Amino acid sequence: MTLSFDFPGGIYPPERKVRSSQASLQRAPLPERVSLPLRQHSGRPAVACVSPGDSVQVGSLIAKRNGLISAHVHASISGTVTHISGNDIQIESDRQDTWHTLAPLNWRDTDAGTLLARLDESGVVGLGGAGFPTPVKARVIARHAIDTLIVNAAECEPYITADDITLQRYPDDVLEGAQLIASLCGAEQIIIGIEDNKPEAIAALTQAVGRSQPVSVTLTVIPTRYPSGSEKLLIKTLLNRTVPSQGLPADVGALCHNPGTLLAALNAVRAGQPLVERIVTLTGDAIARPGNYWVRLGTSIETLLTHAGLDTDRLSSVIQGGPMMGETLDTLKRPVVKTTNCLIAATHAELPSGPQEAPCIRCGACESVCPVQLLPQQLHWYARAQEDDKLERYHLFDCIECGACSYVCPSHIPLVEDYREAKSRLRYQQIETAKAEHAKHRFEFRQARLAREEAEKQARRHARLAQTKPSISNNRADAAAHPAPSTMPSANPQADLRSLRIAQSAAKAAVRKAEKVLAREAQQAPHESHEDLETQLATARENLKVADLQLAQARENAQISTEDSP
Amino acid sequence: MSDAVSLWGIASAVGILTGLGVGFGALLGAVSERFKSDEHPLVEQIDALLPQTQCGQCGYPGCRPYAEAINEGGALNKCPPGGEATIQALADLLGREPAPLDGKAPEALQVAFIREAECIGCTKCIQACPVDAIIGAAKQMHTVIEDECTGCDLCIEPCPVDCIDMLPRSTPLTHWQPVISPAASVFASDRTPANQGAE
Repeated sequence: MTLSFDFPGGIYPPERKVRSSQASLQRAPLPERVSLPLRQHSGRPAVACVSPGDSVQVGSLIAKRNGLISAHVHASISGTVTHISGNDIQIESDRQDTWHTLAPLNWRDTDAGTLLARLDESGVVGLGGAGFPTPVKARVIARHAIDTLIVNAAECEPYITADDITLQRYPDDVLEGAQLIASLCGAEQIIIGIEDNKPEAIAALTQAVGRSQPVSVTLTVIPTRYPSGSEKLLIKTLLNRTVPSQGLPADVGALCHNPGTLLAALNAVRAGQPLVERIVTLTGDAIARPGNYWVRLGTSIETLLTHAGLDTDRLSSVIQGGPMMGETLDTLKRPVVKTTNCLIAATHAELPSGPQEAPCIRCGACESVCPVQLLPQQLHWYARAQEDDKLERYHLFDCIECGACSYVCPSHIPLVEDYREAKSRLRYQQIETAKAEHAKHRFEFRQARLAREEAEKQARRHARLAQTKPSISNNRADAAAHPAPSTMPSANPQADLRSLRIAQSAAKAAVRKAEKVLAREAQQAPHESHEDLETQLATARENLKVADLQLAQARENAQISTEDSP
Repeated sequence: MSDAVSLWGIASAVGILTGLGVGFGALLGAVSERFKSDEHPLVEQIDALLPQTQCGQCGYPGCRPYAEAINEGGALNKCPPGGEATIQALADLLGREPAPLDGKAPEALQVAFIREAECIGCTKCIQACPVDAIIGAAKQMHTVIEDECTGCDLCIEPCPVDCIDMLPRSTPLTHWQPVISPAASVFASDRTPANQGAE
């Protein structure tokens, strides 16, 4: 056990974990039908690759990932695909539970490319809540040097015990999964961060740590304080490194993984088993048999809670996730997805609805509990007044939405809800600004293209006239018949030539600059689209063509007039 | 002591300073003439505040020309797609009095949609589109690229068969705005509610 450091703020909400951590891990019954959303992860939704009527086995690929940040979706029961909509795929069970697994691999003698491909094929995403695709996270080594893999077992939210149970039951497998990820990202040490309210898991891990090979594993027990399990705060606590504002843990050489994710990654590699089930905590006073269950993805929340003995009369609300950061469900018809770690069926006495909101009294309690050292009350004023530039200046986007400020607020102001709303408003504005910028570049390109077409037309007309001119000038040697100078109305062709030359060199410089900017951006962010910069470059090229054409024409005119003048 | 303030000394000092002044003045004049820029930085700032729909409802052929007109003293309130927010932002930037919007602000963001069965392939809308958001060719069906359309409705008028509709812009799931329910605050369970404490 090594030293742990401190983070500012934090709160001590009642834990209420005992209820679900006492029962042993069970298997939920196989569902009759499942509904698998195409978007169970962060990033783009997957694209369905089966059609209604297809028969599938457990682990059959039913939707492929779309783009880099996305994940495959697999059938979680065997049976027949009954319905596909834009958002989900429904499967009716045949009760056979036949599996379709991939070839088992021994990760210790398999190359990294194959392992990454396997994680990708298995649809493994972070099971802690955000659902970030694990293979993408493992590929971070291409751009950052990682020295530490952190196993985030803090599980600081009240009620949730899924990680606790995972570590109690599968300590060796979780550590093996950690070794696998550590080998993929080149980490030199593995640190397990766990809160001191999980003595059984700590005991199981203490024994397992010594057996884990080859990277050294350290178990660090940290004091129980919400929100110690937030990625950035855990890095601060374990390594005393501060993740920069709007930065990633990889920026300070660390990578965080949830124990459940490590177990899923190991199962995908060692057993060839895609991500089709996970451990979910079912808890709350309104169910009779709380505990942790292995649940097939896509199982309806209603079925699951009924299995655990749901008392609908006492039920007041169902929360998915923890009580601090989770989401109150408005319907129980939703399925369990890859990111569902906990379902709380709460009675009214357990989680009563909050009292009426009162005005802010500027007591500053929120500021002293904020773990990321923001000024929640300032943000509250600015969010309500929609002063968006001030919100950004006060680092709204560094808010981790932990809810500590709302928890301590004596005026019961739902601060986090204000911030979420303000964040989504600002994100929407950014999208709109980018769209306007894009339209502007498209407009400029069109203007340049029209100008170029016009200049080309002029040049063609000029060439035609130059061809027909000799015959005319034979007949009428009179220089006044020159139609060419009429396209150049200026009295001073030399001055015009000079300004056109300047325009041409300016256009050349603009093309060079646009090329340079595009090349630099393409190097810095090779995976992103640089459509706007490409449009700008095309616009500059069109402008250069116009300048070239005009200059050539003016030179020809000047030549003609000098020939004529003697 | 007389040569300390000699006429020659004064004359040379005046001469050198005059020479320097004339020299640098000429240099500055030449440079400003040589590197004269047509672009006005304020126009850029005004243009950045405009919504870039390029719709021409202001009476100018696009947002940039309108920005130039505003810079030369044109009215601020001629941009219906921007609405009151744009007028306010322009007034803040230029230190002028905001005026009420000249025209009607659109209720929702819209995009053009071509009823493809009725399109005769005349290319008139393609020529009208300020941002090249319509694809098609002569005697071929045309269609609008929804992501590129700014909703300027300049394509409606030239269409000889009236097969273009303005429809509300669809919102992709990634742009979804969370519905924040004011009910069910789950934080209050561990404290005495304020009204009970007072009793």
